[in-house]
Amino acid sequence: MKEGSEIPSPVPQTTGDRATSFQAVQGGQEHYSGETLLVSAYAVLWALVLAWVAFIWRKQGEMNARLLDLQRVLDKAAAEKVAAKDVSP
Amino acid sequence: MSGAASLNGAGRRTSVGPVARARTLPADGVFYPLVMLTAVAFVVEIFFVFLRAPVEVRMGIVQKIFYFHVPSAYAMYLGATACFAGSAAYLVRPTDARDALARAGAEAAVAFGAIVLTTGPLWGAKAWGTFWTWDPRLTTALLSVLIYVAYVVLRAFAGDGSAERKFSAALGVLGAANLPIIHFSVQKWGGQHPTVITGKGGGLQHPDMKLALALGFLAFTMLAVLLVWARTRVELARSRLRRAEEDAIDLGLDTRTEA
Repeated sequence: MKEGSEIPSPVPQTTGDRATSFQAVQGGQEHYSGETLLVSAYAVLWALVLAWVAFIWRKQGEMNARLLDLQRVLDKAAAEKVAAKDVSP
Repeated sequence: MSGAASLNGAGRRTSVGPVARARTLPADGVFYPLVMLTAVAFVVEIFFVFLRAPVEVRMGIVQKIFYFHVPSAYAMYLGATACFAGSAAYLVRPTDARDALARAGAEAAVAFGAIVLTTGPLWGAKAWGTFWTWDPRLTTALLSVLIYVAYVVLRAFAGDGSAERKFSAALGVLGAANLPIIHFSVQKWGGQHPTVITGKGGGLQHPDMKLALALGFLAFTMLAVLLVWARTRVELARSRLRRAEEDAIDLGLDTRTEA
């Protein structure tokens, strides 16, 4: 820090130097915690990958339901055919 | 399926049997070992990124985002390439497998593109003091992801007919045109985006940094291959199921009007 700077040193030199007020930085850029950003990025990565896996899982579930419907239709048709064969001489 | 078997036995030819016996993608014997290898690669990658690779002198710990931001971008390229290959092949000779590959590739491009477009701004917040700028690389990457979002939305809502598939395939081919533009945008138009591994910057200065990045590429390549493979298989099975449903309707077995 330059000598004569308007911003006081954050480390008190004597007990009389202790802060008695907090001042906001004027016109400075907002600062972000690197740790928070890193963890956020890593969490987003896995959230997106897992969301896609869940999407694939849901697609498989839909297919399974359709497959069961189709099997039901085929079983019904087969049963009707057997019944018709039993009735005919 | 007992129903299908008895019908075939009665002499009526349906496509349910042949569809069920159709050639499938490579066996599970390759897939499951690849899952294990990918898991191991990610464990080693996490170890190297968080415990071995040194903290960067100017940016601090946030620089470690780089080790999965860049491999995610690479995985996005892989997905987009799969979409291009499947789409181009479909336009030459339409098959369910080619369409399924294109669709899976587009979804991979969207998923990994979303990772790139989220992790990049989180890094930028610290390194640039802002989450987003209209830098050439950022803008072209966003454009590319939007193209693949358009593809995915088109496939989700425009039906699954031959015309829709062909239109999507054309979009899949044209969408790939933006990929080299993303890559070369940094060199042609400048901007703020770092050029650490493009030969213009100083590169990674520590061997553990290089190793962490290399492991990132390996892990994300395997993850992309796994996910595209799994998605392709689901999509292919869905196409076959739809044909079986249509056959059931054509034969009068199912009272619905369409599958």
